[in-house]
Amino acid sequence: MKSVIKHILIISLVATITTDNIFAQKKKTARVQVGYFKNYDKAEHLVATLIVKEKRYVPLSNGVIHFYSVSDTSRVLLSKIHTDNDGKAVFIINDDNPKIIKGPSGVFTFEVEYEGNSSVNAAKRKIAIKRGDLEVSFFQKDSTKSIEVSATEIGLNDQIIPIEGVNILLYVQGTFSLLNFGKEKTDENGIIHIDFPTDMPGDTTGVLTIVAKIDDNKTFGTIESRGEMNWGIPIEPVKEKQRGLGDTDAPLWMVYTLIILLSAVWFHYLYVIFLIVKIKLVNGSI
Amino acid sequence: MVKEKLFLNDQFNQKVEKDLLAHLLPHKKVGNIFIFILLAIILVGIYAYYRQLRYGLIVTSMRDYTSWGVYISNFVFLVAISLVGSLFSSILKLSKATWSTPLTRISEIIAIAAIICASVIIIVDMGRPDRFINVLIHGRIQSPIIWDVIIITTYLTISVLLLYISLIPDLAICRDKLTDAPRWKKWFYKVFSINWHGTPEQNNILHKVSFMLSVMVIPVAFAIHTVTSWLFSTTWRPGWDSTNLGPYFVSGALMAGAAVIIGAMYFIRNALNLKDYLTDKLFDHMGKLLVLLSLVYLYFNINEYLGPAFKMVGVEGEHIIELFFGKYASMYWLVQVFGLVLPIVVLVFAWGRKPLPMLIISILVLLGAWFKRFLIVIPSLQHPYLPIQDVDESYRHYIPSWEEWAITFASFAGCLLIITFLVKLLPVIPIWETKKEEGGEPKQLEV
Amino acid sequence: MKNKAADHRRKFLKSSIYAGVSAIAGTSLIQGCNTGASNAGEKVKLLTTDGTLVEVNQSNLTKMSHQPVSPDEARKGIPGRHFVMVVDLSRCRNARKCIKACDHHHQLTPDRPFIKVLRMQDNKASSPYWMPKKCFHCDNPPCVKVCPVGATYKRSDALVLIDNKRCIGCRFCMAACPYSARVFNWGKPKPQKTDHSYSPETSVPSQIGTVEKCDFCPDMLRQDKVPHCITACPNGALYFGDQIADSVTNGSETVRLSTLLRDKAAYRYHEELGTEPNVYYLPPSDRLFPFKEAPEGQPS
Ligand code: SF4
Ligand code: SF4
Repeated sequence: MKSVIKHILIISLVATITTDNIFAQKKKTARVQVGYFKNYDKAEHLVATLIVKEKRYVPLSNGVIHFYSVSDTSRVLLSKIHTDNDGKAVFIINDDNPKIIKGPSGVFTFEVEYEGNSSVNAAKRKIAIKRGDLEVSFFQKDSTKSIEVSATEIGLNDQIIPIEGVNILLYVQGTFSLLNFGKEKTDENGIIHIDFPTDMPGDTTGVLTIVAKIDDNKTFGTIESRGEMNWGIPIEPVKEKQRGLGDTDAPLWMVYTLIILLSAVWFHYLYVIFLIVKIKLVNGSI
Repeated sequence: MVKEKLFLNDQFNQKVEKDLLAHLLPHKKVGNIFIFILLAIILVGIYAYYRQLRYGLIVTSMRDYTSWGVYISNFVFLVAISLVGSLFSSILKLSKATWSTPLTRISEIIAIAAIICASVIIIVDMGRPDRFINVLIHGRIQSPIIWDVIIITTYLTISVLLLYISLIPDLAICRDKLTDAPRWKKWFYKVFSINWHGTPEQNNILHKVSFMLSVMVIPVAFAIHTVTSWLFSTTWRPGWDSTNLGPYFVSGALMAGAAVIIGAMYFIRNALNLKDYLTDKLFDHMGKLLVLLSLVYLYFNINEYLGPAFKMVGVEGEHIIELFFGKYASMYWLVQVFGLVLPIVVLVFAWGRKPLPMLIISILVLLGAWFKRFLIVIPSLQHPYLPIQDVDESYRHYIPSWEEWAITFASFAGCLLIITFLVKLLPVIPIWETKKEEGGEPKQLEV
Repeated sequence: MKNKAADHRRKFLKSSIYAGVSAIAGTSLIQGCNTGASNAGEKVKLLTTDGTLVEVNQSNLTKMSHQPVSPDEARKGIPGRHFVMVVDLSRCRNARKCIKACDHHHQLTPDRPFIKVLRMQDNKASSPYWMPKKCFHCDNPPCVKVCPVGATYKRSDALVLIDNKRCIGCRFCMAACPYSARVFNWGKPKPQKTDHSYSPETSVPSQIGTVEKCDFCPDMLRQDKVPHCITACPNGALYFGDQIADSVTNGSETVRLSTLLRDKAAYRYHEELGTEPNVYYLPPSDRLFPFKEAPEGQPS
């Protein structure tokens, strides 16, 4: 009797595991992440990233993401957007979009949802943000160059309130990524001051792009502001055409040497041939 | 008295003409069998090359790391051989070593054959021979390969000119005397003897031209082998990264060239029955010359290996150890002992300078010369600065595939075929110069 | 009307990447778009790489699909750039993810990778370390100097590339490269998938009888993205960047090149050869991982 129970137990255990496996193979877990971004040109957007669990999480392209604006009482569909190759779907927040609901104390709540399909599970996520803003100003006195950044938020009645105690990062725009050169918390006026390093290379005229950022903040998302200044050390423009051993065109001394040597030799060859012809022509005097 | 001498001269000259023209007349079967064998070897080589064209250089044993193989070492060998032309028609001639006169023609023939085969081999080595035209369209004169292409063309041209210039009077003799030669041959002699009648004016021009060419061929010949050595010394490979490489290559080439001449002398003397012209005395001279050239080469050899072996710097040291004690040691010491030291020892004795011992020695020297080039090219590539890892085990070794051997042998066969063809077409010993020198005054003064 | 919009959006998204030609001259890559909510007409909103939103006419969009530049264009470098790589030897544990990513992107077979991870040991007393090695894109490149036809060439942005449609297969460059960075197509290369015309910037498709090597993924650089190996490294051992802008990134952190090189006492292999490599190495001290020998079966 005991052994029978044991067998049944084992069988049912095996059965669960197998069905589990089949189930797992059928439906993959999906996750959707969402971030709020405010660009330096003040354009705001939500970026939803859809990932599914294969061995590890990989982006899922061409999945439909629903963007909602939510409040305590309602949920309004804003848009449906397909994800791109990186699994990203971008929703642009227009100021005048009537569907977007403003919550209490100026908080906006959005929800993104992926409804899933036959092989992938559904997933959703909420994000609540306050709309903030960054203002960058540049000062130069003698050789010290300094940057002032002020962070503000928009209150419930559209009044502008300084943000206190938020981390602001400062970068120089590099080729592939942003190069950080400073980080500071805002004071009670929502302001930071940072000196700009003296040895940063710019472009040929010394111009570089300085970026101030609130990065992935819980309340404000990512806000970016930037400005161009000629505070960099000008770099030397790349010389275009050159002559050298490693270039397409040979160095002139080499060209001349070769021409001189070869023409000396080959001229003699021609002369020899000329003389051979002459041998043929002087015949007859015998 | 004068009359008598003239008469003797005449008799002598007639004999010379008869003897030296004999091999141009329709020949024995043995020669045909020889040609047949050569053609067979070449055909196998062509088949091997066809496979290489079809499947790519994968049919060779070359891989990343050992990216140059026997093709390149054989190319260097053939270029070395070709240097012999300049040795005889210029260096010895200008230094008034009159004993060498009978050898000028054959040395020029060998030079041309070798240089043609060298250029063929270098094309065989290319991964994309179909794009050879790119060398002309996009050629960069900064590249030593382009220098090599230029200098090979230049050397081939001067070799042909040299051969031809000294040939004109002989072709005239052929035209006049070989009345029962085949039609095409008679036509050839007639056209290419360009109405030569040995008038003083013609003679003047001829001397002028031949002097000019013999002076010019020296720098060109030195350049061809020095440039070939620069293919190696412009890189950082151990064993190549050396300022000694130019003279080292040139001296090695002259030595191999002398050996090749000895071999050729032996065969021509027996096959064409020219014992009276390619005398034992001549062998004796050649033996002494070979000793001299070997000593020079020995000197450069010591110079080449002593420094690195003394210092034992990094990969350079590993390379030296590989040569002296490692997997290439047996080849290295065989080459150095039998291809360099032994010839010197044997040839300093008079008995060693008899034809047969000389033939054996010259074969040893040539084998040594060929394998020496192998030793210069391949072990160097197997000792890069950064260790050979992350690749198949086969990438560490290099044993040429049958295709590579077939093509290499075909290049030798091709060389011999060209030589045979030219020997059957042209007087292999300069008749007019033999007559002039051994018979006294130039012919036209006798009348 | 709505249907039509959805339809056109789907089409748009399917064909992967578009570029606006007239309205957004100078910007090329689009990360996403929004057509569903507000625009149902012919206008499309696009987000460019530098984060600007632009609105362009649908008719101005052309399919781009990362068509690489022509062989002639590929001879000129990307203006104002000088690419460098920094390899932090203290972070490499022979994970070989860079090799995999490179092999995948360049469609190589595993027997002849562009990247090798070498087991190095400078002397008996010091511990061995792993050294990821690729082409160093030398500023004084021996391979370029010896090439008879200019098939391998140096660009103004420091890259050394190979035009495999011009290469004659003489392998002089392989003999000249002191770092053994080059591999040769000895036989027929494996068939490679590509839907665009040949460019030395992608080196796909490979050609029999020609030479190849690490190319720093110029097709990625054109899109302001770092090469595949950089992002593939799980330990952030590989940094890539621009010497002129003095910044390098390993995908997660961005640092100043000059500071990094100075503080970590960077060096280049065989400086004495004068090849001026553009790949720097940070010494394998203070390692992230203890040295472990390669597992069985890994080619060595
Ligand atoms: S590492 Fe080698 S292949 Fe790369 S640029 Fe330098 S010499 Fe050329
Ligand atoms: S193999 Fe190709 S790239 Fe290399 S040197 Fe020869 S032609 Fe140039």
